[in-house]
Amino acid sequence: MEQDKPRKVALVASCLLNQNAKVCQGARYPALVSPVVEALRARGYLLQQLPCPELAFAGVRRWWAVYEQYDTPAYRAHCRRLAQAIAPLIEQYLRRGDELILIGLDGSPSTGVRFTSSKADWGGRPNRPEDDWEIVPRRGIWIEELEAELARRGLPRLPATGWALDMGRFDEAGARRDLEQFLDSRNDAAGQRGEDGVPP
Amino acid sequence: MSGDVRGWHVALVPETLINPPDALRASLPDVLRLLEDHRYGVLQLPPPGAHGPLLAVIADQVAEYAHHGYAVVALGVQAEPGHGLHWRRLAPLLRHHGVALPPRHLIRPAASAAAEGERLAKFLAGYDLPADEQRRWRV
Repeated sequence: MEQDKPRKVALVASCLLNQNAKVCQGARYPALVSPVVEALRARGYLLQQLPCPELAFAGVRRWWAVYEQYDTPAYRAHCRRLAQAIAPLIEQYLRRGDELILIGLDGSPSTGVRFTSSKADWGGRPNRPEDDWEIVPRRGIWIEELEAELARRGLPRLPATGWALDMGRFDEAGARRDLEQFLDSRNDAAGQRGEDGVPP
Repeated sequence: MSGDVRGWHVALVPETLINPPDALRASLPDVLRLLEDHRYGVLQLPPPGAHGPLLAVIADQVAEYAHHGYAVVALGVQAEPGHGLHWRRLAPLLRHHGVALPPRHLIRPAASAAAEGERLAKFLAGYDLPADEQRRWRV
C-alpha cells in the first residue's frame, strides 16, 4: 500500500522553492532552484517547504544582515513560532516512519546548516563594501530554533546539509556536486541497512 | 536590483501538486516544471488536515508579497477536499491582512495531463499586476 510505505522526504529552505524570498540582489534563479529540485526528485524525495523566517519578520525589502544582527530575543521568538507551526507536520512524517533530511542554505544568517555569515561590527547605516562578512561553521538562527523545537518534541536530529547559495561567490557546479554526494551517501547508507532506496 | 533575477510571481500550491501520489501522477501535469518555466516561485500548502498555525505563517508571507509588487496566484486540484487550498482558513487570514484573494486556477485530474498543462501554462503566462504597479516596485 502506497500510504503505508516509508517515504523519503526532504525539508527544504523556503527560498529553494521560491527565490522571491531572497533578500534584494540575492535571487540567482527566477523561480525555483532547479538543480536542487531535480536532484531531490530524481532520487525519489518528496518536497516539504519550510517557512521563510526573514520574510515574515523583516519583510521582502529587508537589508542584508549577518548572524549577529538576527541573534535577538524577538527574532528567535519569531523563529520558534514558525518552528512550532511546521513541527507537527515533521512529526507526522517521522511517526509514520518516513526518512527525513533537511536542506538549508549555507551562508545564510537564518537558514545556514554547515555555515552562516558573521560580522560582529555590522550595524547602523548600511554602507558596507561588498563581501566583507565572514563565513563561519555554524547553524543559522532559524535552523538552530527549528532543531531545538524538534528536540523538545523528542524527535531525532535530522541529517542535514546546505545548498551553498549565500557563501559569497556562488559556485553552482560545486554546490550541485556537494548536494548529490550528500544524497547519494544517504542512499548508500539505506542500501547497507537493507532498504531498497527505490523512489516511492 | 542589480544581478537579481527573481520572477516577481508566486503560486500557492497544494501538497498534491508538488508531491503527486502514485494514483494521480500520470493524470497531472508537471506543475513544478511549468511554474519554473513561467518564473513562479512556490508557496507550498500543507496536506489536508488542521494546520492553523502553519496557514497563519503562510498568510503572513502572502501578505508581504501582495503588498510589495508580487503577482500571487493559487492553484487548486479538482476533487481534492477544498481543492487542496485550505481556502476556508486561508481566505479570512488574507482578508485580515488586507490582501485580495489571489486568482485561482483549478487543475482537473480527470482531463488529460497534457491538456491541463497547456491550460495551466496559459493561466500562468496571462497573469500579472497592472503595469503601474510593476513599475512602482520592480526596480
